[in-house]
Amino acid sequence: MNKKADVLVIGGGVIGTSIAYYLAKQKKKVILVERYDHAAGASGSCDQMIIMQSKNPGVHLQYALASAEMYKTLSQELDYDIGYHKEGGMILIETSEEMEVMEDFVARQKEIGLQVEILTRKEAAKHQRGLAEHLVGATYSPQDAHIDPMKLNLGFAYAAKKLGVEILLNTEVTGIIQQGNKVTGVETNQGTILAPLVINAAGAWAPLIGQMVGLELPIKPRRGQIAVSEPVAPYVKGDVLSARYIVAKYNPDILEKSDDRAVQLGVGLALSQTEKGNILIGATREFVGYDLGNTREGIKEVLKNATRLVPGLKKMNFIRVMSGVRPYTPDGLPLVGFVKGLEGFFMAAGHEGDGLALAPVTGKMVADIIEEGKTFMDVSAIDPNRFNL
Amino acid sequence: MSCSDDKIYICRCEEVTREDIEKAIADGATTLAGIKKRTHAGMGLCQGRTCSKLITRILAEHGIKPADVYPQTSRPPVRTAKIGDFVEEDDV
Repeated sequence: MNKKADVLVIGGGVIGTSIAYYLAKQKKKVILVERYDHAAGASGSCDQMIIMQSKNPGVHLQYALASAEMYKTLSQELDYDIGYHKEGGMILIETSEEMEVMEDFVARQKEIGLQVEILTRKEAAKHQRGLAEHLVGATYSPQDAHIDPMKLNLGFAYAAKKLGVEILLNTEVTGIIQQGNKVTGVETNQGTILAPLVINAAGAWAPLIGQMVGLELPIKPRRGQIAVSEPVAPYVKGDVLSARYIVAKYNPDILEKSDDRAVQLGVGLALSQTEKGNILIGATREFVGYDLGNTREGIKEVLKNATRLVPGLKKMNFIRVMSGVRPYTPDGLPLVGFVKGLEGFFMAAGHEGDGLALAPVTGKMVADIIEEGKTFMDVSAIDPNRFNL
Repeated sequence: MSCSDDKIYICRCEEVTREDIEKAIADGATTLAGIKKRTHAGMGLCQGRTCSKLITRILAEHGIKPADVYPQTSRPPVRTAKIGDFVEEDDV
């Protein structure tokens, strides 16, 4: 197989397929290669949240809000039902220390334009049943939503294909072709593909692609373990997180110093219910390399945490656990943009747990930057060159 | 294959028909995981214990040798388990 394209995208997850779709709308000839299959990495082993409240107030939240706007009409645009539901979300607060952190977080999020407020436990109980008595309150935002990640991934892929994108599954990149400091294509286990522009959208595996061109990407795989309940009648409304999740997400150093196993495992509540009625109960945040396994300890701590906050879950059965690695970066923001000194190499990875929330806006921004050299948002904060590559 | 064969349930838990499986294969799925993610076959209460053999056979009809079909990733619990029992077992 010898093929040519204007742009070659590496990675068939939600980020890669979103980019392929928005590039194809700009009339680019795009080939997407994927080592295994769509939704084979984080896109198929995650929860389903499009949650604004977990985002750092700043550009992070601004990107998420731009994405949230796009999500409202994405099913229609892709002509594929991605299972979008906007039912709001809350972050459960257990202690007065957490309340202090969240009051500050919420105040700064409001300045960015997020509709969010702090509720007392009694008010929170009107939104969500089964809450523990010891909670001191919760934040609430009507802007949180969820989608079916596998449908999102496939929806982008199908829409991209309709626009002429060639998607090659079971096609693994084995090398990047370079002429001097210029990238001109890739070698795969299925043959050579020439393209003057190569986009690394390989998620948690992006560093392995980076190594092929001598880049030390600061992306690390971080494992999340999730338990899945049997289908039950509507129980969890919207997305439910815990304030500890926010701490786990943005302060990994604090966690390393703790001797509580749940804290060391980065356990924070992430609760939502699928269209079919399964409750997704997450999650850990662990640095264990590319180990995709589940551990008894990890799942136990996840379920202990969840039942402490929402004791009603104890009566339910779980049928499955799952596990996947997310692409962690040191500052919690992805790497999106051209890499300096390596012409024709573009980064679009490192979204960690925000891949779903940021997929549409990432695809749009990447297509804009490639087509016009600029986009509708300030992308300096996600410029890959902020790190010493 | 007659029309009625098409509507046979392969995965009873998630009510996935042979036709759905065939569509997933036409879409590029070559593994049990690929079919599961496109159709939900194997995601239900029994976790693929019945349908994975049937799906392997359908894949074989499309030229993929059964020996080359990876089993689903084996993950706990082996049987549906009550969350409360699991988290409290240490305390017993």
